[in-house]
Amino acid sequence: MVKFLRTWWRLLLLVALLATGIQFFVRPPGFSLTPFLGEIGASLFRPVYGSIDFLRRGISSVWSGYFDLVHVKKENAELRKEVAALQEKLTESRDAVLENRRLEELLRFSRARETRTVGARVVGHDVSPWFQGIFIDGGAAAGIDMGMAVVTPAGAVGRVHRTYQDLSEVILLTDSRFAADVIVERTRARAIAEGMGGNLCRLKYVSPTEDVVRGDRILFSGFDGSMPKGTLLGTVVSVDRPREGLFLNIRVVSAVDALSVEEVLVVLSRPAIPFQRGMP
Amino acid sequence: MLLVLSFAGTAANVWLLSGLVPWFLLPDFSFLAIVYSGLFLPGPLGFLAVLPPALFREVTVTGPPGTFFLASMAVYFSASEIGRRIFIRAEIFWFLIVAGLLAAESASVLLLLILTGGNPFSYLRGAEEAVRIAWTSLLAVFLFMDLSGRWQRIQE
Repeated sequence: MVKFLRTWWRLLLLVALLATGIQFFVRPPGFSLTPFLGEIGASLFRPVYGSIDFLRRGISSVWSGYFDLVHVKKENAELRKEVAALQEKLTESRDAVLENRRLEELLRFSRARETRTVGARVVGHDVSPWFQGIFIDGGAAAGIDMGMAVVTPAGAVGRVHRTYQDLSEVILLTDSRFAADVIVERTRARAIAEGMGGNLCRLKYVSPTEDVVRGDRILFSGFDGSMPKGTLLGTVVSVDRPREGLFLNIRVVSAVDALSVEEVLVVLSRPAIPFQRGMP
Repeated sequence: MLLVLSFAGTAANVWLLSGLVPWFLLPDFSFLAIVYSGLFLPGPLGFLAVLPPALFREVTVTGPPGTFFLASMAVYFSASEIGRRIFIRAEIFWFLIVAGLLAAESASVLLLLILTGGNPFSYLRGAEEAVRIAWTSLLAVFLFMDLSGRWQRIQE
């Protein structure tokens, strides 16, 4: 027995590690085994992503500054004309300006009340072939927590999956583990959106009697409490009506191209349904 | 050397080149460091050497917490067992070992994703993954030749 263990202990350990890994994958434990180690790893990479982000911003500002200078003379003349026209319009529409101020105050109030957000910069991408994720430079120190929604003005990006002190992992809505309740903007038909890789999501459980056509905009319903209500998911690119089967096959292209997005907003309201650690 | 390889390679892939270079052209340097630790470094030294690259993978892959640290340790013990049982005679062995371990890991994760309800498979994705495995394995051969050359010079 001792001889057997001495010969094969590596293989036995390998099997044990794989079994534990599979268990963690399928059913993540309530506690994380590596919060301390993960924090060390994130701290080790902090100077790297900080300096690379600084360099990117520097190069980008120099480049755009150069282009601004080239076009500045022409743009100046156009802007002067525009300012004169706008001043005339402004004096004509005092009532509209006052109304606008009132609405603006209301909007500010609703923003402060419901959707407090924090801006973050995208500093890296998950390059593994199995998952679609990005890394943002805001973490627990900025009030970001697991399960919070990540959006841009153009639409939703994903959901926070794991946080460190000043770094967070975000699972994109095209990742196969992402799912959320959505509605079709035009007909209000409900469905479950699920990531399917690339830039696509699929809509599940849509009856063939529902009116969904190519070009329909898909919004998050907010019913499951995971994503803000009314946030744009994307646009329907194909609707297949299978001869057999209970539901339509619908594909949606994401409104936001995650590879080109540079800044995001994290909605600082915790999801209504608490997320289990490690589950997207 | 393995620590520098895994740290610099992972940092370059995740923080610098991601978004510019397609993911399937970025070799998994941490994976290579883990395999080399298993094949070259026996005993506690190999175990210590494998901890940083396993940690880097855990931090930079957005999988369920803990899984990629454990998977990396499993890869290390597999490589260690292969190193003990197989006499590696030519470069093609390096290529096959790395490609085999990468393919096994990839297939396992894909299977788990499918079993947990996801549907991440597409033919394009499969082809891209094949390119990534081939490219990383090819790099492993050149890296091994370079490292062994350096080691010989140190010994001389």
